[in-house]
Amino acid sequence: MQDRITQLFKAIADPTRRDIFHALVIASTALSITQIANQFEISRQGVTKHIKTLEDAGLIKLDNKGRERFCYANAKPLKELNKWMQFYEQFWGDSLDNLDTYLNTNKNA
Amino acid sequence: MKDTISKEKIFNHPIEKVWDAISKAEEISSWFIQADFKAEKGYQYTFTSEVNEKGCTTISGTVKEANPYVLVYTWIVADTEIETTVTWKLEAVSEGTKLHLEHSGISNYAGDSAIAMFESFNGGWNGCINQLIDYLKQEVNAG
Repeated sequence: MQDRITQLFKAIADPTRRDIFHALVIASTALSITQIANQFEISRQGVTKHIKTLEDAGLIKLDNKGRERFCYANAKPLKELNKWMQFYEQFWGDSLDNLDTYLNTNKNA
Repeated sequence: MKDTISKEKIFNHPIEKVWDAISKAEEISSWFIQADFKAEKGYQYTFTSEVNEKGCTTISGTVKEANPYVLVYTWIVADTEIETTVTWKLEAVSEGTKLHLEHSGISNYAGDSAIAMFESFNGGWNGCINQLIDYLKQEVNAG
């Protein structure tokens, strides 16, 4: 089984999936697969496939109403990823500042 | 979004000096973290942060490439067995030396456990860095 972070990266690596996710966030309401397919001018099958990948990553939740399936955005998993990226951004930023200070205080080294 | 943290920084110092600072154990130990390190391909290095009340974290890995001015090593935190890669590239520029740093493979970490592990590392690390900064200040004052 792929771990969640890997699934997340896979899900957001594709520009169309990012756009679909973004559209759902902006809509701030559930959109049906048909609505998404119309908006993106891609086949229903294509949308369904992208939605499945986004759902596996936990970025989308599906709700069946009658014959139509509705999709909701769920940005929570991105926070996890963001936490990671922020930690390392900070970590390396601080470390390079330390390196700079070190180099500046050892001019004669 | 990419699975990589990238940083660029220009140091107002000659490339040899910056290379020594990132590749020699005694220098790495001064500004970064206590290091058993050799800039030789295949060397199994260990970084150990100083002991504080939280205990400290070990980072280990293998040197993959060490040719002036490119240094690549794997980066494994504690006993997680999850391998990420750190790449340092130096380039001489008119102002001094440009460093390009990359840390890739963050997606290799499993979700929750890795985050919990890293949060604890974060605390330990900050404690150790503060000790290091104090130490460096003392050195500067003494000299």
